[in-house]
Amino acid sequence: MPSKRQLTVAAGYAAASAVYIAIGVWYTDVLLSFWVALAYLLLVVWLVPTGVRRLF
Amino acid sequence: MIQKHHSRLKIAFVPLLLGSYAPDMMSKWFVYGIHIGGWDLKASDPVQFHRGWPGMGFTHSLLYGVVIALLFWRVLGSKTWAISFLIGQWAHAITDTGDTVGTMLFFPWTVHIHFGAWAYAGQTGRTTDAAAYFSGPGAVWDLVWIVLGLYSWRVLTRSYFEEHVFTADAFWSKANRFIPVAALLVMYRVAFFYGTSRWIAWSLWAHVVHHYPYDISWGGPHWVHAAHSPPLSSGQLAGVLGILATGVAIFFASRLEVGRRGWAAIRSKT
Repeated sequence: MPSKRQLTVAAGYAAASAVYIAIGVWYTDVLLSFWVALAYLLLVVWLVPTGVRRLF
Repeated sequence: MIQKHHSRLKIAFVPLLLGSYAPDMMSKWFVYGIHIGGWDLKASDPVQFHRGWPGMGFTHSLLYGVVIALLFWRVLGSKTWAISFLIGQWAHAITDTGDTVGTMLFFPWTVHIHFGAWAYAGQTGRTTDAAAYFSGPGAVWDLVWIVLGLYSWRVLTRSYFEEHVFTADAFWSKANRFIPVAALLVMYRVAFFYGTSRWIAWSLWAHVVHHYPYDISWGGPHWVHAAHSPPLSSGQLAGVLGILATGVAIFFASRLEVGRRGWAAIRSKT
């Protein structure tokens, strides 16, 4: 079974996925490019949390 | 996942991903058409361009994978990159035989190998193509891989990445000079994230927003005007079976040879 930490990470990705899906359904061009998905995920899952951690 | 189940086989993730995208990388944009400035660029015969010859159909052949893999081996000196690219490209080329047009798998032999399980609708434009794909057996096929990915969730964990993926390919340690491991881990996970998220998004777009009907019957969905390749003649079928039989024979012969060398090595030690 996954650990609590692994479940927390998975929940973070699921939330990022939900937002990506919502954007994609509204504006399907987003769904066409792997690179857009990569940039989005790096921004949401790594860059923003890292920036927030450094600020506070 | 391959590496998880075959620990002796070293797979590098980046070339595997490159290989899986390679067949469509140079052709799909021209199949759907793009608008640059005042220019509209689109293939006059999208099906022919995407899967045929003359056209870019050779990118969906086994030989194309072998040639690029050999280039990787020769230029980069990495057997792991070559094999990984080959697995990814072959997976794409073989998977696309599942639709109604199929691929010229044995190019330069230009016959299309096709099982006709789901409708090929690339010529209808990207949105109708997506609606059709995510309404038919192709969507079910993708779902199988998503479920398999979720079942093998351990391959997405940080420990798996650090122990198996990072160490299998020098690309990651080189990238790590500029990019922290946390970001590399995100880059590793994005393939599964993208595949799963776009499956859900296109399904919602097609069935909740636009109410396209599901039709997962063989060759479906039948509401779309699908392109078809002609069925194989008995002579062509015999040719395909001959190629497959030769491939299987070469595989087993090489395994026997490896086995003989192994026995010879054991005998020489004792």
